[in-house]
Amino acid sequence: MNHANSKPLVTLNDLTVGYDEPLVSKINMEIRPGEIISIVGSSGIGKTTLLRTIAGLVKPLEGSINLNIQPRGGLGYIPQKLGLIRHASVAHNVGLGARAGTSFKEDPLTWWKRRNQRVNDAIELMGLSDKADEPTRRLSGGQQKRVATARTLAQQPQLLLADEFLSELDEDNIDVVVRAVINYLEESNAAMILIEHNIERAVEISHRTFSVREGKLTELSDFGSEQE
Amino acid sequence: MIRRKTTFSLIGIGTVIAALVVFDSLIGGDWSPLFGGKENFVEFWQEDLWPPDWSLLEARKYPACEASIGFFCSKAYIGMLETIKMAFVATVLGFIGAILLSPLAARNLVPKAISFPVRIFMAATRSLPSLIWAVIFIAIVGLGPLAGVLAMTFYTIGYLGKLQYEEMEGMRSDPLEASRAMGLSRSEITFLVVIPEASNGLLSQLLFMFEYNVRHGTVLGLVGAGGIGYYLNFYIGLFMYRQVMTFIIVIFVVVVLLDLLSMFIRSFVNEESDVKRPSWKTIFLPPEAAVKEHLEKTDE
Repeated sequence: MNHANSKPLVTLNDLTVGYDEPLVSKINMEIRPGEIISIVGSSGIGKTTLLRTIAGLVKPLEGSINLNIQPRGGLGYIPQKLGLIRHASVAHNVGLGARAGTSFKEDPLTWWKRRNQRVNDAIELMGLSDKADEPTRRLSGGQQKRVATARTLAQQPQLLLADEFLSELDEDNIDVVVRAVINYLEESNAAMILIEHNIERAVEISHRTFSVREGKLTELSDFGSEQE
Repeated sequence: MIRRKTTFSLIGIGTVIAALVVFDSLIGGDWSPLFGGKENFVEFWQEDLWPPDWSLLEARKYPACEASIGFFCSKAYIGMLETIKMAFVATVLGFIGAILLSPLAARNLVPKAISFPVRIFMAATRSLPSLIWAVIFIAIVGLGPLAGVLAMTFYTIGYLGKLQYEEMEGMRSDPLEASRAMGLSRSEITFLVVIPEASNGLLSQLLFMFEYNVRHGTVLGLVGAGGIGYYLNFYIGLFMYRQVMTFIIVIFVVVVLLDLLSMFIRSFVNEESDVKRPSWKTIFLPPEAAVKEHLEKTDE
């Protein structure tokens, strides 16, 4: 798919992120519908802060972010710790995504049906149908990651921000999760920014891969040259 | 690390010494009553308190008892039941008030401009003990259970509200961040994210508050706000301590039973219940016997 012709979903203009001190400076980037961007780099260098800043959870130190998405439900976020409600059921957690992603404008019954349909479809796709009523705290780490993915799939965001949600997953789980997310992104022409520890996987999944080094975000144009 | 531990130990020892010094100044340095009062208590116990007057557990002479078991017409049962009813209503009403206000007091959910005045309101309701609230409400609505219920409700809002907003502030931030990023509204985040995530703590606090209100409800009767305290006040006024002792035993038994009930209910929602389904036996049996019972069940 040619992403260059479409209007950017996210535009970062001279963006500097951090808390008291800048962690990553002067980021200029455009992310278009359908694009998958990976960010790699060692721990504690500002990757998560960048994602949280784009999500609107942290104020930028400098520069600006232009988001061309719906304010409600347009942005999906899977934090490193997944953001699940531990005492609530799988269906409740997935339902939150569906709630954010569906409009109240239609009549309540139609909305309710559409919301439930999304929840059921997402739970089924992630192979969690038999766990729908279980509190998420009772699930294994891999199953919890599938719940967080189902929540995002039920939401159907235009832009997905995912923070290392593939790490510590076994190969079977990674396969199920990655296939479902990439299918969704392709079908709905949505974009994703993924923070990933595994560089090989990042390059394999994404269209563009960036690395944070010495406070700068730089594109890895050639994975081989980075390895040297 | 070792230096930090030493500092904490010194602070701990210093606090205990400070407490003893303050205590000494409060009692004017005279510690003798603490050690010389045993004989007085033994005398009071033998002559005035024991044995309790168990006739209070029997049916009252007037009005005529229509129940088949006389205990259900006794002063102890009627008074205790009224106290439990007052505590139940006040806890439910207070919980509703507190759960509506506490999200507005939690600093991780609303700006300080909102949380500050709500906290002040809660502190105000909490600053007066329920006994003083009872005196105020007796002046407004007159003697009886209504004043008691209103007093306990007000105190519950302040006290339970504080416990609730602290529970909400202590919750993990990642569910909040995920739902904020999704674009959910503040009320959706409160009712669909914060309250479910904090539910175990909230339930535990609710049960604690009910037990607390039952205990305090017994005191409210002293100022005429109904319940078993009314009888307590009556017999204390007449120096009839054997009767008072009976009511104290009844209150003790009820509080212990409520505590066990609360432990039983909480055992269903804590994380231990994920691996071990609780039963009444695990609450009543001593720990070793409960473990044995559990192991036997697991073997089956």
